Amino acid sequence: MLNRIEFVISEALVALSRNRLMTLAAVSTVAVALFLFGGMGYAYYRVDKYAQTIPGKFKMLVYMRDGATKRQISDTAKQIRAMDGVSTVHLVPKGMAWEKWKIEHRSGLTEGVDNPLPDALKVVLSDLGKSERVVTSIEQLPVVAPENGVRYMKDEQNFVEGLLTILRGVGIIVGGILFVTAGMLIYNAIRLTVLSRRLEIRIMQLVGASRGTVYIPFLIEGMLQGVIGAIVASGLVVAVYAAFNWLVQTRIDAGYIASAFPYSEVIGMLCTAGATYGILCSILAVRAPLKYR
Amino acid sequence: MQSPHLSFENVEVKYTDLVYGLGEVTLVVQSGEFVFLTGPSGAGKSTLLKLATKEVQPTSGGVLLNGREIGHVKAREVPAIRREMGIVPQDFALLPRKRVYENVAYAMRAVGNSKKEVRRRVPEILQQVHIAHRADAFPHELSGGEQQRVAIGRALVNDPPLLLADEPTGNLDPEQSWEIMDLLKELNRNGTTVVVASHDMMVVTRMGERVVSLNQGQIVADMAATSNLQDVLPMNLPNDDWPEMPLLETVPSEEENA
Repeated sequence: MLNRIEFVISEALVALSRNRLMTLAAVSTVAVALFLFGGMGYAYYRVDKYAQTIPGKFKMLVYMRDGATKRQISDTAKQIRAMDGVSTVHLVPKGMAWEKWKIEHRSGLTEGVDNPLPDALKVVLSDLGKSERVVTSIEQLPVVAPENGVRYMKDEQNFVEGLLTILRGVGIIVGGILFVTAGMLIYNAIRLTVLSRRLEIRIMQLVGASRGTVYIPFLIEGMLQGVIGAIVASGLVVAVYAAFNWLVQTRIDAGYIASAFPYSEVIGMLCTAGATYGILCSILAVRAPLKYR
Repeated sequence: MQSPHLSFENVEVKYTDLVYGLGEVTLVVQSGEFVFLTGPSGAGKSTLLKLATKEVQPTSGGVLLNGREIGHVKAREVPAIRREMGIVPQDFALLPRKRVYENVAYAMRAVGNSKKEVRRRVPEILQQVHIAHRADAFPHELSGGEQQRVAIGRALVNDPPLLLADEPTGNLDPEQSWEIMDLLKELNRNGTTVVVASHDMMVVTRMGERVVSLNQGQIVADMAATSNLQDVLPMNLPNDDWPEMPLLETVPSEEENA
C-alpha cells in the first residue's frame, strides 16, 4: 500500500512539474476566484456584523451624562418619547451594553478595565424626515452627554450599505465568472498533463496498473492546484481584513476595535473549497482520456 | 494434457454496421503454445489480440482466458486481467527519458511492487531478455531489436503465463527479427504461452510454429506447428534462399485485397 502511495505521489509531482505555465495560470485564477468568492464573503460577513453594531437609519443611541440617576434617565426617556417623529424609546443599561461589547470583541483589552460605557436610550424614529430636528432637540436635554451624546449614523449606514452591495456584487458576479474560468483552467491543465503523460499512462495500462494508480496522480495534481490557489487567496483575504479595519478606523470610527481574525477557519475553509473544486475539475478532465483501453 | 489458455468462441467485432473487425471467429490457444496470427493489414490480427487485452469489446461471442469469460467484464476488472498477460506493443512504447533499467522498474512500480522487489527483479528480467548489459542506456541509444527486448522485458514484470506481441518484428531488420523470435521462443520453452500477430511471412514460416491466417476478419487457415522448418532454416541465420511455403498461398497479397 505504501509503495503504491509513494508511486502515486511521485507521479503527481512529476505531473505538476510539466506544463508549469498552465499550472501557474490555474493556480492564480483559483486564487483570485476563491478570494473574490470566499474572501469577499468573509469581508461581507464582517461588514454586515459591523453594520449590526451601529444604529440603523431609524435608530439612534442617546448617551446619558455620567452620574445620571434612574429618575433623570426615566424622565428624559419620557421627554424623547413625546417628541414628534419618535416611535419608541428603550433603556440600554451600561452594564448590559458592556457585557455585550465584551462578548462581541473577545479581546484581552477588556480584562481588568472598568465599564467605560454610559447608560443609553435607544430611540426608534417613526419619520426619517424629522430625524435632524429630533437629534437637535435631544442634544439640548440636560441629562444627555454634552459631547457626542446622540449617536445617529445615517450617513455611515448608507456608506456601509453601499459597501455591502459592492462586496455582494463583486463577490457573486466577478467571483462566479472567475470560478468558472478557474475550473476551465484546471480542466485544461489536467488535460494537457494527460496529453504530455500519455505514454506513461499507456504503459501503466499495458501492465495492468490499478485504475487508482492511473487516476489518482491527476486528482492530486488538481487538488494541489486548488490548495495552492486557496493559500494565495487566504493571504489576499488577510490583506483585505487589514485594509477593512484601516478603512473603518480612518473613515468611520476611530475607536473601532476589530475582532480577532479567524485565521485557521478562513484558511481551512478556503483550502477545503480549493481542494474540492480542484478534485472535481480533475475528475471531469480525466474521466474520458484515462478510460482503460 | 493440454488446456485452453485463450479461447475465442464465435467472436464478432463490428465497429459500425458496415465496418467489421472480426466475423464469427473461433480459435483456441492451448497453454504453452506458440501461435502466429498472420494475414494482410486489416485482416483482424490485431483485433484478436485486442480482444484478449480488453482494448476491444466483442459485439457478440465469447473470449475466455483460462476458462473465464472476459469478453464483457466491467472496466474495473481489466487491470487484473492485464496482469495475467504480458503485452508487447508494436511501437515499443518506451519512456524516452528513462534508462532501460528505469523503463522496466517504472512498470514494476506502477503495479505496486516495492523498491526492494524492483531492485531484485529488474536485473533478473533484463538478464532474461538479454539486455542487462545495456541497463544504463537510454532508448535512443539502443537498436530496434534492443528496444524490443526492453519492451518484452517490461511485459514480463507480472511474470505472466501469456505473452501477446503485436508485430514485434515490424520495425526490425531480419537479423534483429530473428533475435526477437529467439527470445520469444525461449520464453515459450520456459512455459509461457505466446501469441504473435505478424505479417512478416519470412519469420513466420521459418519459426515452424502454429500459424493462424486471417483475412477480412475470418480465419482462412490454421496450420499446426511444423518443427522440421527450424531444422531446415536455423533461426539465427537469415537466409534469402526460401523454400516455397504452402502457407503463402493461403494469404492473399495486399494488391489482391485492394
